[in-house]
Amino acid sequence: MQATATPRWKWNRQNVGYFFVLPSLVLYLIFFVYPFFTSIYLSLTDWDGVQPVMNFVGLQNYERMLDDPMVWQSLKHNLIWVVVGTASPIVLGLLLAMLLWGKIRGRLFFRTVYFMPVVLSSVVIGIIWGWIYNPIFGILNRFLKSVGLGALARGWLGDPDVALYAVLVAAIWSYTGFCVVIFISGLQNVDMDLIDASTVDGANAWQRFINVIIPQLRHVLTMVIAYTLIGGFSVFDIVWIMTNGGPANATDVIATYTYFKSFKQFDMSYGAALSMLMTILALVATIIFMRIRERGEEEAA
Amino acid sequence: MKNASVRYDESHPAPLQGAQAGESSAVALNLRQRLLNSGRYVILILFALIAIAPFIWMWSSALKESREIFRDPFALPTSLNFENLVNAWTVGRFSDYLKNSIIITVPTTVGVVALACLAGYGLARFSFRGRRLVFYTFLLGIMVPFQSIMIPLYYNLRDYGLLGTYWAMILPAIALGQPFGIFLMQAFFRGLPGELADAARVDGCNEFQTFLRVMLPMAGAAMSALFVFQFMWTWNAFLMPLLYMQKEELRPLPLGLMFFQGRYTQDYGLIAGGVTIATVPVIVVYILFQRQFMRGLTAGALRG
Repeated sequence: MQATATPRWKWNRQNVGYFFVLPSLVLYLIFFVYPFFTSIYLSLTDWDGVQPVMNFVGLQNYERMLDDPMVWQSLKHNLIWVVVGTASPIVLGLLLAMLLWGKIRGRLFFRTVYFMPVVLSSVVIGIIWGWIYNPIFGILNRFLKSVGLGALARGWLGDPDVALYAVLVAAIWSYTGFCVVIFISGLQNVDMDLIDASTVDGANAWQRFINVIIPQLRHVLTMVIAYTLIGGFSVFDIVWIMTNGGPANATDVIATYTYFKSFKQFDMSYGAALSMLMTILALVATIIFMRIRERGEEEAA
Repeated sequence: MKNASVRYDESHPAPLQGAQAGESSAVALNLRQRLLNSGRYVILILFALIAIAPFIWMWSSALKESREIFRDPFALPTSLNFENLVNAWTVGRFSDYLKNSIIITVPTTVGVVALACLAGYGLARFSFRGRRLVFYTFLLGIMVPFQSIMIPLYYNLRDYGLLGTYWAMILPAIALGQPFGIFLMQAFFRGLPGELADAARVDGCNEFQTFLRVMLPMAGAAMSALFVFQFMWTWNAFLMPLLYMQKEELRPLPLGLMFFQGRYTQDYGLIAGGVTIATVPVIVVYILFQRQFMRGLTAGALRG
């Protein structure tokens, strides 16, 4: 409204843009931006979700987090999740995409099959893998026994030493197909002349892969890694469905712990602080990663 | 070992495998190639089995009785037994869950695509004041996990009187779909030639008509990618309905399936029936529209 004073406002065609953006922006402000800032405020109070009283307590909830061993344990699990859960689907995805590169029979078939788990809901994945790990009739134990490794058989989701990795394997299973498809389309843009040139220069297949193909896939790789970083710090569904964070918190991640604190124990302010921790970790990890990527790009140029 | 002068000699094409040219080595090369090729297929088929076997196991278990599942999980069903499927459908209220999923997913997806097209176009074509601020506000939504708003949003929805209705999921889901949708559409509209819009304006179209009649029809590929992505995301959403759709008669398919599994833990045949009802339609639709699925679900990573 103040803009009326300036002559620019006298029906500038560019202002039509407001009308296009408005419906989307209004919904977004009400259902995202407003609760986001409320969340920040909530994390600085001592609200229990029921009483109308809400006292401002400053950074107390954040100090409490530092002394909470459950937070550190969950963070460690998130870290494992981020590292293993990012590296494995990328390595597997690259391997399969490379094998499907070029002229190969049944390419479409393989691609279709690999991508199938990607379209499933996490509940379905959780149930299917819960069966695979089932100590009584699960196919994993049956398979181990049939190849003479029966000593390894166990209740996979009930054993605190392996439960986290068992859940992680289910997540990797459901996600690898996504990486395969992305890498296949990334490989289609690889410059074949560069590959021929490096062959002429005497590079072997591995050197070609590392020095010629990987650099050309960097754009796609960056996006996949950014995506798994954000996802790795906020993972909830598959863990909650398969183990509820158990046994004995062995699979608890920040998101399941946050859910437990806020919606089972109604410690809303502490829950909000935990969700902010998750947000900050995801943001910082992504921004650092993007920065490193950019610097690498500048040096390469 | 190889002589550099030979390598670039026109009459000696660059030796790819470092082998000497000749009849015998050509045979060896061929053999090696074939071995490599079959190794390639062994790995590809192994991973295809890993990807597909769990489905087949689950679906075939749905046709068995629970006793059979215990006896030999690998065995194919001895007789086709559709009891589990029928029971899961009626006992498990899967028809209700399916209905709920459709009621939630269709308006959400249409809403996201429509609003994101408008906003994406607005951001791509017009340089209004505060455009950068709007842009970065939306960018925040891409980088921030849903959990950062889940607690206050619960109380907001309650205060707005939306909790206990389908809107408690539809409206926030449309809002949360905006950042990704807008970036996708905005990048697409940016790539279209602006002259077309200018020409339409000269022909007497107003800005909205230009958008609707000239620009939007060219955005089919991006729109269908966004549509599939959003549809899958909403259809499979778990945490949001877990928080905001707690009433049993509102539960969508994934949530219903989870409670169903919790209630009938011991009846494995029945659970397999439920999982089959939940997965077969998705897989069939996926196989029919696989190109759109792959394009949609990977659009974000490729545009970026």
